[in-house]
Amino acid sequence: MTCGDDLTGGYRDAGPAPDDVDLDRVWLGVAAQVWRRQPGPAERMAGRLLRSPGLARALVTTPSLLLGWVIATVVILLAGVGFTLGTGTPWVALLAPGIAAAGIAYAYGPGIDPAWELSQSMAVSDRMVLLVRALAVFGLNAALGLAASAASGAAAAVTFGWLVPMTAVCALALAVATVTRSPNVGVAAGSAGWVIALLASQAAEGRFTAAITDSFLVLPYLAFAAGCGAVVLFATRIPRGSS
Amino acid sequence: MNVELTELTRKFGHTQAVAGVTLQAGAGVFGLLGPNGAGKTSLLRMMATVLPPTSGTLRLLGRDPGGYGPRREIRRRLGYLPQNLGYYPGFTVYDFVEYFALLKDMPPGQVPSAVATAIEQVGLGDKARIKLRTLSGGMLRRVGIAQAIVNQPELLLLDEPTAGLDPEQRVAFRALLREFGERATVIVSTHLVEDVAAACSEVTLMDSGAIVFHGTPDELIAQGEGSGAAGDAPLERGYSAILAAARSGVAARS
Repeated sequence: MTCGDDLTGGYRDAGPAPDDVDLDRVWLGVAAQVWRRQPGPAERMAGRLLRSPGLARALVTTPSLLLGWVIATVVILLAGVGFTLGTGTPWVALLAPGIAAAGIAYAYGPGIDPAWELSQSMAVSDRMVLLVRALAVFGLNAALGLAASAASGAAAAVTFGWLVPMTAVCALALAVATVTRSPNVGVAAGSAGWVIALLASQAAEGRFTAAITDSFLVLPYLAFAAGCGAVVLFATRIPRGSS
Repeated sequence: MNVELTELTRKFGHTQAVAGVTLQAGAGVFGLLGPNGAGKTSLLRMMATVLPPTSGTLRLLGRDPGGYGPRREIRRRLGYLPQNLGYYPGFTVYDFVEYFALLKDMPPGQVPSAVATAIEQVGLGDKARIKLRTLSGGMLRRVGIAQAIVNQPELLLLDEPTAGLDPEQRVAFRALLREFGERATVIVSTHLVEDVAAACSEVTLMDSGAIVFHGTPDELIAQGEGSGAAGDAPLERGYSAILAAARSGVAARS
């Protein structure tokens, strides 16, 4: 028995339904209203900004924007604040790029987004889903990192300095995750890239923090991020020769 | 013609998954049969615009999926059930179907009634507000079918749709297929010949990436008559006879 049968059965005592009433259609109208999901405020705002309800829905289902991920990010950055205040080393600034890179690599892809295969056959472009999710993850992580930096006085001088390296590390993670179709490989590449940058700073200038404080690195970071962005766009291009 | 494939190929490294497939399909239910590794899923994924072909020509719903605009238009009119349906465990049945209705770019005002209709069509009306993590495999398959049909597609591609369905559900599902086949092109990849016998007007048999038979189910049955091929049902004997002939031909050439 379907719910529609239940509904019509409930009215049976009132006498037979008029012949011209399509009860199945009536039930579907009722069901559509009863089952209907009310989008949350974030989804409604994203829908208005993106002008696409589908893209907004895809955004709020980003695996690395879900509550568990956000809580984990906050916990790590709070620990960073504690270590920064305790040691004087700007741990928040050193941690933030790696955290954001992991979040971006885990925003989309096979094995991470359960419906990735289906998403690829949808009218709302999978490239748009990827880019919007990446931007949202980056934005959220940057905001959390900035808040954590502001809370740790020792890092105040480099609060904005790490945003540029974070862009480069995130772009690397995203590019590798996209090309290899493996978010895990993307996370590994982003993390390895950032560790190498820190070790290189230590070797060259005797301090890890040179990777986020040396202004001459800004242009190379941005160029590297742009190169990785180009790789992402190339890897998600519309293949020619399909027709 | 809703589907026009000409010499379509797909390679993965040195492995040729699809080898020069030429096929045309209008309205109706088409069965895509073949053993594991025959290339059915790769062919279906290319028709779903998920996987680009290595070479050949592909036209879907009269459009070239190589361009952004036409591909988006094709996808609006497409329904696709992949072999492995990923799902968000925390979503309800309604949320999941609605999510893909939105990604299919359906007008938001039409989405609630379209989702309710699709859920009722697969017989999950009493589970609409239930979370996916609590559903059985057969029910999840029906959720997958609901998302595929939510936009009333003109091209419906189903990869092993009856896997996990019980006999009663299979009967209902085949009736749904026949209903869709009256106005749309429905391509069903399966290894269950009884699905083909009950629902399909035409059948294509693939082996080693190539089409080795295309015709009606009756023509497939005729291939098995008097052949001594293995099988419990006439259609199975036809299937086995064609595969045996195709493979002996390959062996003779090599």
